[in-house]
Amino acid sequence: MTIEETCFEAVSLHDLESMSTAEQDALPFGVVGFGPDTVVQTYNATEAKMSGLDPSTVLGVPFFDAVAQCMNNFMVAQRFEDEPRLDDIVPYVLTLRMRPTKVRLKLLAAPDMPRRYVLIER
Amino acid sequence: MSGKSSEEQLLEFLYACPVGLIECDLAGDIVMMNPHAMQHLLPLAGPRDAGNLFAALEHHAPELRSMATAYQATMGRVCDGHRIFVDLGPGPRTKAPRVLACTMVKLGADRLMVTLSDISQQVVQEERLRQADTWFATLLDGVNDYAAVAIDVEGVITAANACFTRQTGFDSAVTMGRNLAEVLQCDNTGGDLRLGEQIEIAGRDGWHLQEGWQARANGERYWCQRLVVARSELDTSPFTGFSVILRDVPRREAAAEDVRRLLTCDHLTGAANRRHFSQALEREQAHWRELRHSLSLIVLDLDHFKSVNDTYGHPMGDLLLRRVAEVCATLLPPRGIFARLGGEEFGALLPRYDREQALGLAEQMRQRIAAISIETPDGALTATASLGCATLDEAGGSIDSLIKLADERLYAAKQAGRNQVHRLTADAA
Repeated sequence: MTIEETCFEAVSLHDLESMSTAEQDALPFGVVGFGPDTVVQTYNATEAKMSGLDPSTVLGVPFFDAVAQCMNNFMVAQRFEDEPRLDDIVPYVLTLRMRPTKVRLKLLAAPDMPRRYVLIER
Repeated sequence: MSGKSSEEQLLEFLYACPVGLIECDLAGDIVMMNPHAMQHLLPLAGPRDAGNLFAALEHHAPELRSMATAYQATMGRVCDGHRIFVDLGPGPRTKAPRVLACTMVKLGADRLMVTLSDISQQVVQEERLRQADTWFATLLDGVNDYAAVAIDVEGVITAANACFTRQTGFDSAVTMGRNLAEVLQCDNTGGDLRLGEQIEIAGRDGWHLQEGWQARANGERYWCQRLVVARSELDTSPFTGFSVILRDVPRREAAAEDVRRLLTCDHLTGAANRRHFSQALEREQAHWRELRHSLSLIVLDLDHFKSVNDTYGHPMGDLLLRRVAEVCATLLPPRGIFARLGGEEFGALLPRYDREQALGLAEQMRQRIAAISIETPDGALTATASLGCATLDEAGGSIDSLIKLADERLYAAKQAGRNQVHRLTADAA
């Protein structure tokens, strides 16, 4: 699958793990990858543009506490704790640049993978 | 610092802020909000629009919309720390209830700033303190004996111990199958919560305790602590009935009464102090919210009090304040509280009083104060007062608004010539 063909619905955890940073940056939707401790490991350019945050300030911080408190509830953060294997798309409202914004979130996790992902499509 | 722009720094700050911040218009449509606000709002919104504050909170706090609408001024604090109880489920609690505190400030004709924060832990701590208070009260009181009655969810007696008969004079065999509230006639205890209302609270909180007069079968009154506890079998919710414990307790002994007076009363006048008044306000606000009890407030201020001190001296001024507190306190209904709120300003908190009742009582207070006459070396000292009344309904449930409204009306009574109770009809004229 080439980058151009990668669509929000079809993209898999495996696809994301095999992409380079540049390839992730080229995706038309936001990509946030984080470890089991929720500390952010990847933050792509699309997401940085939507949120207004520089990736350097987001990398290394606990995602649900410092950046995405709006997902820190049973609808998102709790699911990563409860469900080791996760591949689901949910409609959501984020506060990108402090404005309520309707989005779709894709939640991806697998027990054998080091990183989990939240994908954000405006 | 790195080369971050100030906008980036500002966004980072807002993304990380652990308190919910929202700006919306008067209809509730959200212009801006931070992630923490959305963390609370989205789960509460359910299928409703999370982009509108009032729609999102329609289920848990429908009063916010009306409070914002009812707030007349173009600017000011609509509510401060207004509590939104997210979890109200019946039965024993397994976890801390989620409680949000909402503060809403109106900044212009169509602009609201709102904060939301989670105060669940604080509420749990308050509850523990209340329980500690209950134990403290128990230690101070000598307990003679306790009557235990089991009732079902309808309030019908299913069992009672021998002490029930000894304490109340009702034969437990005869009262079996009858409604406890009817047997005890405990719905006639003035400002007390009725048994049915205690049951409602116990159904939600697990228990409720109060003190008040109780009549025995022979008509004699005794001071009674009444504890209602929700009962459920095998930890299954919902509960299957309630246990009611009645204790014949002596009214507080002199020593304890002294401590209580020291903590709750104004040293000069013997009226309740501000702290006690504010605690009572919060308690009665909860009754208003949970049980739909009406609640009224009278504020009164002595007219031209400064000149009393100037003409007759401070000792005479103090005497006058004491006399005012005395005559007003005697007019109070059960559970009513008369407090000194400031120099020559007093407040009367009136549970279960509606507007008309409060206006009637305020007029009686005015007359009794006008009738005071104190002999002094400089002739007779007399006084008048101006009074304003407000109800918690009018104030949309906010204590701040209640006090503000009553104060405004007190001020209007002063403007209209003093020695009077402000009435709304005078407004229209």
